Amino acid sequence: MKSNGNNHGNHQLIELKDVTKVYHTPAGDFTALNGVTLSIGSGEFVSIVGKSGSGKTTLINLVTGIDDPTSGEVYVGGTPVHTLKEGEKASWRGSNMGVVFQFFQLLPTLTVLENVMLPMDLSSRFPISEHAERAMALLELVDLADHAHQLPSMLSGGLQQRAAIARALANDPPIIATDEPTGNLDTKSAESVIKLFENLVDQGKTILMVTHDSDLAKRASRLIEIADGKIV
Amino acid sequence: MMLPTRWVKIIKDIWSNPSRSLLVIASIAVGIAAVGMINNAGRIIQRDLYSQYAAGNPARLNIYISGFPKELAKSVAGMREVADAQAVRTLSASLIHSDEKKSDINMNVLADYQDVRINRYNVDEGAAVPGIREILIERISARKLGLKVGDQVIVEIDNQRQYKLTVSGIIHNVYILPMTIFNEAFGYISMETLEWMGEMPYYNRLDIVTAANPGDKDHVLNVGALARDRVIEPAGYQVSGIAIPGIGSSPGDHWAHDQIVGFVLILQIMGVLAVFLSCGIVINTVSALIVQQIKQIGILRSVGAVRSQVAGMYMANVLIFSVLGLIIALPLGLAGATWLSYFAANFLNFDVTIIDLPPSVAFLQIAIGLIMPTCAAAFPILSGTRIPVYNAIYQYGLGTRNKVGWFEKLLSKIRSINPPLTLSLRNTFRKKSRLIFTLVTLTLAGAMFIASFSTRDSLNAQIKQIEHYTVFDASLSIPGGANRSTVLREAMRIPGVTLAEGWSEAVGVFVDASNNESEEFVIVGLPYNSRTIDPVMQQGTWLQGAGLPQIVVNADLVQAKPDIKIGSKVTLKVGDHKRLFEVVGITSKHLYGSRIYMDSDSFTRLTGRQNQVDVVRVIAQPGKPGTPAVQEAIAQQLQERFKNAGLSTAIASTQHNFFKNFTDIFNIILMILMIMAGILAVVGGLGLTGTMSINILERTREIGVLRAVGAANAAVLQVVVVEGLVVSLLSWIFGALASVPVAPALAAVVIYAILETRLNFRYSVEGLFLWLAIVLVIGVFSSLTPAYRAARLRVREVLDYE
Ligand SMILES: Nc1ncnc2c1ncn2[C@@H]1O[C@H](COP(=O)(O)OP(=O)(O)OP(=O)(O)O)[C@@H](O)[C@H]1O
Ligand SMILES: [Mg+2]
Repeated sequence: MKSNGNNHGNHQLIELKDVTKVYHTPAGDFTALNGVTLSIGSGEFVSIVGKSGSGKTTLINLVTGIDDPTSGEVYVGGTPVHTLKEGEKASWRGSNMGVVFQFFQLLPTLTVLENVMLPMDLSSRFPISEHAERAMALLELVDLADHAHQLPSMLSGGLQQRAAIARALANDPPIIATDEPTGNLDTKSAESVIKLFENLVDQGKTILMVTHDSDLAKRASRLIEIADGKIV
Repeated sequence: MMLPTRWVKIIKDIWSNPSRSLLVIASIAVGIAAVGMINNAGRIIQRDLYSQYAAGNPARLNIYISGFPKELAKSVAGMREVADAQAVRTLSASLIHSDEKKSDINMNVLADYQDVRINRYNVDEGAAVPGIREILIERISARKLGLKVGDQVIVEIDNQRQYKLTVSGIIHNVYILPMTIFNEAFGYISMETLEWMGEMPYYNRLDIVTAANPGDKDHVLNVGALARDRVIEPAGYQVSGIAIPGIGSSPGDHWAHDQIVGFVLILQIMGVLAVFLSCGIVINTVSALIVQQIKQIGILRSVGAVRSQVAGMYMANVLIFSVLGLIIALPLGLAGATWLSYFAANFLNFDVTIIDLPPSVAFLQIAIGLIMPTCAAAFPILSGTRIPVYNAIYQYGLGTRNKVGWFEKLLSKIRSINPPLTLSLRNTFRKKSRLIFTLVTLTLAGAMFIASFSTRDSLNAQIKQIEHYTVFDASLSIPGGANRSTVLREAMRIPGVTLAEGWSEAVGVFVDASNNESEEFVIVGLPYNSRTIDPVMQQGTWLQGAGLPQIVVNADLVQAKPDIKIGSKVTLKVGDHKRLFEVVGITSKHLYGSRIYMDSDSFTRLTGRQNQVDVVRVIAQPGKPGTPAVQEAIAQQLQERFKNAGLSTAIASTQHNFFKNFTDIFNIILMILMIMAGILAVVGGLGLTGTMSINILERTREIGVLRAVGAANAAVLQVVVVEGLVVSLLSWIFGALASVPVAPALAAVVIYAILETRLNFRYSVEGLFLWLAIVLVIGVFSSLTPAYRAARLRVREVLDYE
């Protein structure tokens, strides 16, 4: 499922073409995204900002394939994500996309190290003998090596978020997509998370980050603002 | 060692909730152990009992003959149709223990103890051959009476002459009905000893093994008739009976063969139920697990797990439960089989040779143990992992936004003054498949419970009905018979007795047009207007008058000989006498076998016995039997008087005693049924607890809202408990409906297994309402724990939960 080529003849890494998302609710239909067209190149650090309810989460979920557009096309690394089936999206995501949520994302019964190893186990991209070593290297990268064998519940929110970032990197995906990664953190922890993203961008990753915090948003190389389902 | 991380998660999940894991492992283990126990014990019992039974060359036929010498056995054995014949003398006597208590004993004499060829016995201890003034005691009798080799016992004959014998051996005889069941001891003595005890040295029973078709009832009976007509009677000896040993068994089968088959069948049903209920717990627990981990499933999917990987993880989890359950179930089943085999061995008097776990039983257990839980879990796992990743992450719970169906619309019409009550009602029906599952378990338990009670009531009703046939205070048998007027005169002299009746008994056969004889039936001669019997007529009428050529039969006889109908003209044959009768009535069943009733005068004509009676029945207030104490007093006097008059030395029995024997055996069976219903109730309760816990877990947020709008603890508790009660009540209604077919079916199977007869069914209303009480208690208790947990939740915790 992994695709390295650009088989639609465009050189942007992420490309949304006239994407619309309508939620069907008992109270009636609600258009959360309205004809969004957007391209993001490889190595960009993009932050998405906007008021509450403007459609930020919806947008990022379409990029990660967690949600499907009502109409329009979503290409990531040349893969037409909108055409993939649920199962295909899962394994595509496993090696092409690291996802970091705001809360609840580490499996509570696994240690931090095991949480980081989990995506490797699911994708079989790396031989099993390398998993532990690789996971440890990633934890060192996020400065969590000392906590490798602790359970997530023993870590503070900021450390958990860094563990989640390490896990997002497990299969070395080119893109990290994250929805309010600092929403739940104090300023100091938020700062260290952003630092981490900056390091990753330096290493060539593409980062897509939804945030409320305009100061943090400014640290990104590009800022996209959404209002009422449209890019402004 | 590198264990894939997925496996680490599975193992840690199992470990992180030990009580839940143990519940699943234990329920798998119990179900599978039950299967192993029942199948293995059934195999061991049949293997050892039947092989030991067959090994001693069982008699296929008993011919009861007035005194004969042992040479007659040789003549009968010489017949082409007979493989072997052995002469036996049987004598009923009393055994007096040290403490002056008496037991009945059946004393047997064999012609040649050096060469026992039929019904061979084994020696457990001491001598194999009884010497003069010695007795060999059957081991069950020895155990019950506390006798050892070398002990002295006193045997009393005819209630007067006492003889001291030495126990010289303890033997094991698998052919006789053990003392534990039939309360009669058994011993072998030599003919010399019998003579020394003042008895004539003759034989009175021939044990026969036929040459061909030893399992064919009709053939075996025919051989018996042939032996009588060609050898025994021409030699001048009188045949008084021809019978196949056992309780309705086929010739050569163990005497309780059919009962064992019936019992194993009941146990098999129990085993299937146990497996079914294990399935239920697996489904419920796995559903709970999936619901609880729905967010984790979302995370797994978001980091690249495809559905088959997620489903595989949960399946592997269940498989680990199965394997752990099996590891417990195999030895547990073997232990259960050991217990059940020894229990049966003790009851039926055989030896358990080896306890083993044959590949067939182990394979059955492993197959069911691996397949059952995975199949049961497949449904919740597959439906739980089908949920799209978006739903798993953003919406807590499976399919929270249900479609609004007709049922919900109907429920929404229920207007209540009490909003929490409305909420309880709606909640109950929110998760239909889970509700249905819980209902099925509880309904099954209820139906089984009511069925067990109905079986008990049917049996009791039947026992009650026998009262109609025993409207007396005491009765006494007069072996050999006595003159009617002497007997009645003597009986009427007992103070208080106002009615005495003399009944006569004979055995006879039906003869058809081509002179074929049926098996033997008991014929009772009684005054046609007898007042010690109040027959319950199923069809036709009772005997119409003195000396008429009429008979009344009971339903037991019709079951054994279905061609008998009202209006049938039948020929009865007793000895050489034959007469034609018309069947005028059919009475209800008796539990003690087939009966043909006819008036005393007709009986005299048929048998040629003038004014002889074999049984006397007395009562103080005709139509109203007295209290047990009154009956006992009358019985005592009856016995004394007839002994002093030299008429009978038999022991008188009371109407009351007659019933006691039946109830004892039934109670064992009923206990097993009640335990079974109890287990089902417990499992149903566990299922409901599980369901309520999952429901509460799913509705954490809703409860938070209830609290936020100011619901007190009591109100939250009420919402949950009422939901539990609604489920209980529903299950009771369904259980009551299901019991309508289940109860008669269970009663029929159980009663047929123990009594070999079909009885009238009686539905137990008491059981129905007792189950209502139980199920309401289950409802309250299963919802109380989850309800308390819900009531303890604080608004903040609930909000944190999301
Ligand atoms: N599953 C859903 N069903 C119906 N409406 C939805 C659903 N998810 C989101 N919406 C609506 O779509 C709109 C956009 O939602 P979205 O979560 O993308 O906003 P957001 O910009 O992420 O807001 P916030 O900053 O509060 O996270 C909101 O008005 C929201 O109520
Ligand atoms: Mg959002």
